[in-house]
Amino acid sequence: MRPVAAAPDPTKHFFQPIIVCLTVASVALTLFVIWISLHDLSLMRAGSEKFVGLDNYVRFLGDPRAMAALWRTVLFTTLATVIEIALGLAVVLFLDRDFAMKRLVRTLLLVPIIMTPVVVGLTWRFLFDPATGMANYLLSLAGISQVDWLGNPRIALFSVLIADIWQWTPFVILLVMAALESAPTDPLNAARVDGAREWQVTWYVLLPMLRRALAIVALIRAIDSIKAFDLFYIMTRGGPALSTETLNYYGYIVAFTNFDISYALAIAIILTVFTNVALLTMYSVLFPKGGDR
Amino acid sequence: MLTRRNLLMLGAAAAALGLAAPAVAQDKPFNGVQISVLLEGHPTTDAIQKMLPEFKEKTGIDVAVEVVPEADITAKELLEFSSKSGRYDIVQNNIIYLPGFVKSGYIVPLDEFLAKHKENFDKADFVPGYFNTNVLDGKVYGLPVYGESTFVMYRKDLFEQYGLAAPKTFEDIENAAKTISEKTNKQVAGITMRGQQGIQGVYVWAAYLWGFGGSFFDASGKSALAMPEGIAALDAFTKVLKDYGPVGVANFGWEENRLLFQQGKAAITLDATVNGAYNEDPAVSTVVGKVGYVPVPMKSTSPKGGSSSLAVHSMYVSAESKNQEAAALFAAWATAKEQQLKSIETDPNSGVTSLSALNSDSFGKRYGAFKDGMIAAINAGNPQYLPTVAQANEIINNTGIAVSKALAGTASAADALKEADEANNAALAR
Repeated sequence: MRPVAAAPDPTKHFFQPIIVCLTVASVALTLFVIWISLHDLSLMRAGSEKFVGLDNYVRFLGDPRAMAALWRTVLFTTLATVIEIALGLAVVLFLDRDFAMKRLVRTLLLVPIIMTPVVVGLTWRFLFDPATGMANYLLSLAGISQVDWLGNPRIALFSVLIADIWQWTPFVILLVMAALESAPTDPLNAARVDGAREWQVTWYVLLPMLRRALAIVALIRAIDSIKAFDLFYIMTRGGPALSTETLNYYGYIVAFTNFDISYALAIAIILTVFTNVALLTMYSVLFPKGGDR
Repeated sequence: MLTRRNLLMLGAAAAALGLAAPAVAQDKPFNGVQISVLLEGHPTTDAIQKMLPEFKEKTGIDVAVEVVPEADITAKELLEFSSKSGRYDIVQNNIIYLPGFVKSGYIVPLDEFLAKHKENFDKADFVPGYFNTNVLDGKVYGLPVYGESTFVMYRKDLFEQYGLAAPKTFEDIENAAKTISEKTNKQVAGITMRGQQGIQGVYVWAAYLWGFGGSFFDASGKSALAMPEGIAALDAFTKVLKDYGPVGVANFGWEENRLLFQQGKAAITLDATVNGAYNEDPAVSTVVGKVGYVPVPMKSTSPKGGSSSLAVHSMYVSAESKNQEAAALFAAWATAKEQQLKSIETDPNSGVTSLSALNSDSFGKRYGAFKDGMIAAINAGNPQYLPTVAQANEIINNTGIAVSKALAGTASAADALKEADEANNAALAR
């Protein structure tokens, strides 16, 4: 027997229209994008649009530039996420004590996050200027010769990575710090009483407690790194010799330099699918079913 | 009921009314018309905006100007054009896009309108090289707002100090760069040029390409960069920059290159003629009066085209414009000699396209140091200097990657150019 009249939920008048609007908008847009990606649509050849099926996707598979860009995206995302989490965690453990300037330090940590990426990019471009930049000046004090930070194709990607790490490690620190402060201290003390050494307390008790927070931060950072655009645009524009062209940036070039809209959207869809698969995999590894220690 | 026929009749009645009272508006047929104009951020745009009240007074046309950086303007225009929004009556852009715009039916010929408004249009007063790039299949599609070419700039004082003569050949450039770089122990870069991947590097390297006798395309219209001439041109370009150029040149765009030279930290550069205005401006330059200006060398005895560029930025009238004649009138007025002459007084405009303005005293007073070099460069300027096919942007992008790879040493000039040819031909076939 069905319940005659379930208690009406008054909040539904609030969320239902919103859900409907969002669903319609996102489904319609996604379908439209897929539809265009199945055509040959170039803004420089108006009136010659035609249906080409999966041609744009086949073209992607045979496009070495796209493949190299995909690989660079993977490399950049992995390095950025891993280094930012590791560095952030180290700094959190270091800051996890009471000291006089704690509030000030926490405020200062916000500065890189608040700065607009354009300013960050320009600042690092000046720092990395081979002739007048601070980076080479510091190296020269140590007797190391000039490094062409953004002009050497073997180094440029890592120079952008440094800027990204500088900007986003504080984000990791803030989130993990918050998690740490809301975590109970009893288990730590219990472990100490049981005779565990300090590194054992950290490794076996503290880190497992922070696992969820770290996983969430890692997911957020990974998603952001895959989408990273502004630093690349400001610092290197994908150069030199394509050494900093990520898939996201390549998609931008195809759309707004080559005006090949349909291929650009195909790239965008591939990047979206790829990101979803990668992140869902990551998610299931980080949060195994039933395993919630 | 308001049927379609009634509507048409209403329209006809309105037109009749308009015709009935023409005597008042005879001299201002477009009184009250509004046009919308999309312009590049540039000194000429600043000057035109200052003169808009005069245009309004003269014609009664209201002009709304929107300004966008040159780098972003093409994407904006194409999005508006392709959605047939009619958002802009006039747009401005480099003439390399003109064939693509015409082919797609985005812009209209202006001949008929210009014939009606001769008081604002004097074809003979335009620098011929600038004007002719706007003509396609015998029809005028644009009016040139500003233009520039390229030339070689060198430090006369340093050349004299080290006993060097003004560079006439690519070998002279290399020798002088070597001498100055070595004699100053690299304190002064022997040469600096734009090395940044993309249009920046291609714009300057193309001087070498044409100068060595190469070309972007072969006779059949296929991309032909990896010919012996093109390979030699890329080798020569990368050699001088690698051996005698400044550190970081692989990321140099127009601005970085210009700043280094006007700060006196480089002995030679090959770049746009507009740089002359910066070199000779005491407010921003430490090399005022020390710079010599000579044409881009020509090594080949049978070149396929000139080795100095001819970059022209024109106004076009949109096919979706409801006021095409008023728009054409504005374009003609804004590029007429009277307005160009005024623009020299109000803004740093060394790119005038009017012969009267170019030969005026005030132009000579401001830009005399490089005027002759610039006019020589324009006259030798190659309108095909950069590709002008519809796929131009993609081809320049691919070529830029080749230049960047060769400069960074990740591929040989031959391999990099071959790769660019393949990508270009794929783009041309699409």
